[in-house]
Amino acid sequence: MTKDALAEQRPRPAARWADPKLSRFDPLERILVFDDFNSGTHGWVELLGNYDGRSDLDTVDDHMRDFRPPQLSSCTFFDVGTHGAMSGTYALKVATRPEAGHTAVAIRRLTMAGRGRVQFETCFAYKSEAASQENQAARQAGAGQWDGNTHPSETQFGAFTVATDICDGVRYHCVARYLNTDVNNSLRQQWVYPVVPEPTPREHFQGKVKLPRTADFTAPDPNDWRPFGSPQELCYNEVPTKVNWHYLRWLIDTRTRSNVELQVNDRLFDMRDVPVPAYHEAYGSLQNLLNFYVSVRTHTNVRNFLFLDSVVISVDW
Amino acid sequence: MRQSLSVVLERNTLLTGEFATEPYEVAWAREARWFVRLLEFRGTQTRLEATTQISPDGLQWCDLDDCKVSLRDPGLVSWVVREFGGWLRLKGVVAGDGEAREGVAAKVLIYLVLKG
Repeated sequence: MTKDALAEQRPRPAARWADPKLSRFDPLERILVFDDFNSGTHGWVELLGNYDGRSDLDTVDDHMRDFRPPQLSSCTFFDVGTHGAMSGTYALKVATRPEAGHTAVAIRRLTMAGRGRVQFETCFAYKSEAASQENQAARQAGAGQWDGNTHPSETQFGAFTVATDICDGVRYHCVARYLNTDVNNSLRQQWVYPVVPEPTPREHFQGKVKLPRTADFTAPDPNDWRPFGSPQELCYNEVPTKVNWHYLRWLIDTRTRSNVELQVNDRLFDMRDVPVPAYHEAYGSLQNLLNFYVSVRTHTNVRNFLFLDSVVISVDW
Repeated sequence: MRQSLSVVLERNTLLTGEFATEPYEVAWAREARWFVRLLEFRGTQTRLEATTQISPDGLQWCDLDDCKVSLRDPGLVSWVVREFGGWLRLKGVVAGDGEAREGVAAKVLIYLVLKG
């Protein structure tokens, strides 16, 4: 179905048009979250692995102890100064370290008061860090020749991910990742999903898994990711200091524990056949868990950034 | 109500030699305060020296002022920074007595507390 056909099917509540900031979104009936980052982080916080009863942070899994605190960013750059967000000055920035394999993760923690459709919407941008004398980005893997149009930094951006952690008795993750480049810094521009559930701290505690610091925590083996849809070229916009905001709408169904669809600008991906890996074992302390996270992962020794102008999470219950 | 944000820039990190924390954007904040929690010093006569650095773009850095903290004992220390612009980081060194560097380290948590 095209985006236009979809839009014709969906009713347009009049109230939404009364708010210009909300009118760029297409929420379901009940809005749980409307995060405008001009007024704080709205509960988006660094993800951290679990720790023991003595608050000993050395007991946190190596691959889950350095996901970096999100930043309230004015999108300021060396060449033009403050770019600003889509609305106002500030966006939420999730930033990796300049280390191949490093992942930064910000999470939003909710619970479910019902079952049904849940929709995550955001306006986002993604960038690699501009080169400098100190960071030596121009010499790092992925940097190619500048041709006046495409910039070498575009192939130094790895991937960004939107994902959930949900538990209704069964724990599962719906996940969608934009793989800009593969681990060899070759351009892929492909949406992918994992076929295995995320390794958990309890699995480490039980001796089932031990991952190194820069392991991909969502699904560590690159072979456990599969493409869905055909590649999509986004608007990196040539250089690392131009910020163009993209619309993303991701719909899942917690009644059926399934993906439904992903819209990114003018592309609509039917995700109904994209499987959602669940844990075979039960987890306590998580009843009605509804977490959303966004992550950004670099495949070279260059900082990668994901900017969110604002976020809307809505439900049909 | 004013905005506030506390972030953990280093968490049980074992610092050795020269170090700098990751760039952190603070343009929205009017107040900033470092908290450094020193969990452990390794080596002989080990000290941690640190200076607040500022930046116009997150790429180029200079010292904010002449204030350099020098820490030799485990515990919690804090100091305020003012008129810092859009970015903050801590740059410093962990050094021991004399030339020997092997085994010289400091295990730290570094917090940045911001208010707008």
